[in-house]
Amino acid sequence: MNAATVVFQDVSKFYGEVLGVNRVTLNIPPGITSLVGPNGSGKTTLMNLMTGLIHPDRGSISLRGISPRDPERLMRITGYATQYDSAPRWATGFSFITTGLLLFGFGRAEAEQRAWKALERLGLTEAAQRKVAAYSKGMRQRVRLAQAIAHEPEVLVLDEPLNGLDPLIRAETIALFREWAAQDRHVIISSHVLQEVDVISDQVVLIANGMIVAEGEIRNVREEIHERPSQFIVRCRDASQVASVLFNEDHISEVRLNDDGSGLLVMTRNREQFSRLLGRIALNGHRIDGVIPADENVDALYEYLIGGDR
Amino acid sequence: MAVYRRGYHRYQGPIVGHWARFMVLPRFAWRRLFQQRLVVLLTVVAMIWPLLCAGFIYLANHADLLTGLDREFREFVSVNGRFFLIFMYVQGSFAIFLAALTGPGLIAPDLANNALQLYFSRPLTRSDYALARLLVLFGMLSAITWIPGLLLFGMQVGMSGGWWFLANWTLGAGIVAGFAFWVLLVSLVALTCSAWVKWRVVAGALVLAFFSLLSGVSLMINEVFRVTWGHVLNPAWAANQLWCLMLGVGPVAGPGAVECALSLAVIIFVLASLLARRLRPVEVIS
Repeated sequence: MNAATVVFQDVSKFYGEVLGVNRVTLNIPPGITSLVGPNGSGKTTLMNLMTGLIHPDRGSISLRGISPRDPERLMRITGYATQYDSAPRWATGFSFITTGLLLFGFGRAEAEQRAWKALERLGLTEAAQRKVAAYSKGMRQRVRLAQAIAHEPEVLVLDEPLNGLDPLIRAETIALFREWAAQDRHVIISSHVLQEVDVISDQVVLIANGMIVAEGEIRNVREEIHERPSQFIVRCRDASQVASVLFNEDHISEVRLNDDGSGLLVMTRNREQFSRLLGRIALNGHRIDGVIPADENVDALYEYLIGGDR
Repeated sequence: MAVYRRGYHRYQGPIVGHWARFMVLPRFAWRRLFQQRLVVLLTVVAMIWPLLCAGFIYLANHADLLTGLDREFREFVSVNGRFFLIFMYVQGSFAIFLAALTGPGLIAPDLANNALQLYFSRPLTRSDYALARLLVLFGMLSAITWIPGLLLFGMQVGMSGGWWFLANWTLGAGIVAGFAFWVLLVSLVALTCSAWVKWRVVAGALVLAFFSLLSGVSLMINEVFRVTWGHVLNPAWAANQLWCLMLGVGPVAGPGAVECALSLAVIIFVLASLLARRLRPVEVIS
């Protein structure tokens, strides 16, 4: 087991008789990991467990070798931004972050320097001396993020971090996550916006009813779902002829022609055979411009594995 | 699988000690509290009685100023256990009002803003947080209780000399211990009200109601059942009984100091449990 991973070993948490999470075993490597699941599925419980805000009824958790029961060490490597407002309304953005850093044990000069840096990264320097009460929803979201990154943690745990951000700031924030993750650090986020999860995640953890439904890289998870045919979009000029070839194969369950006649949506039960078939089709003189997997995304995984309301 | 490059370095610089970090919360709270005019005003008003008491001590130690006055009055002007008991009673009452004014704003806003998660996402435990909040009140109330009490005691020692100290050092210890117990109780009442009641005004009223209602209930029990043990339910009465013991003043008729101490310990335990129950970083579904 790599020391630089986040590990859940057979973790269960019950709130009285209400299930939080049940028998969760996870091994999250560095990078951007998204926790995906419907409301009440246990995403926030998982985040609270890994930050030591609650403790499991059974099982063990380790963040890069540190137990959440050791907040003194854990919180030095962990940054947490909750989904709720948590900044006192009387504080300015700058004093809010500085106070947090003082609680971490930084000296005042160091804390102030880091607070500015964090505010700068989130584009909040102009509003730094304004009271948080006067911030817009998006600015409050950013100040929450700023307090989470200000001490340069190795594990960033963010509950719905993209909510309320405008498209430009959203793109900058995603870039920040990527930069963070590229440095061998963990960025663990929960999000309801599946398209975004799809774009930014190195791996996903799908959770429903307190249990892990799937985990891993999106493509690997998709490959494990054998009962659902894989979908591919094939771009080609003679789509109808290609379709007729495809129909003769047993593993092809459905082919749909695009309205413009230059593409197909193909559903296959065997990805390898489909891949070989495409090679043969190309060798037979049909020009294939591109093949794109249509359901190797979180949206599809969610529908296949969890379904229902999001 | 992505290839990651370890491009960051853990902070290796100096970190201040646990107590310095712990004191961040009280420091900020004190600064904010003393920005409120009412708090400053009440603190100043609470200093009037100690000043009068200081004048009394001065008078008691200058017999020449009392010549020509009535003998009974001259006997009345003496610094003893009863003098400090009256001092404590008045300052103890001020402590309740100051706690009712300042206590409600300490925890309720954190709960309303979901800030507990934020605090506990720092190297700060639940007990650290509770102690830090308790320290805010303990510090504020100390300024009007045992600190002026000890100063008055010191003034008396300074004017009467070492022999007086040797004969009456228990008064000094009694002032500090008696007030410390009282301040702890009052602070816990205020913090518990702050943790359970969202609205400051209501929480403040509840602090006052806690003492007056229990006093009323204890009197009612005594009247209805024709007993005296009902007094143990009145924290102010029970504390007064303890103070009498500590200052060597004859106790008031009713339950003894042991029963009163036990009663106060139970109240403190219940308050601390109620507080701990509320100080949870996450909402627990039941």
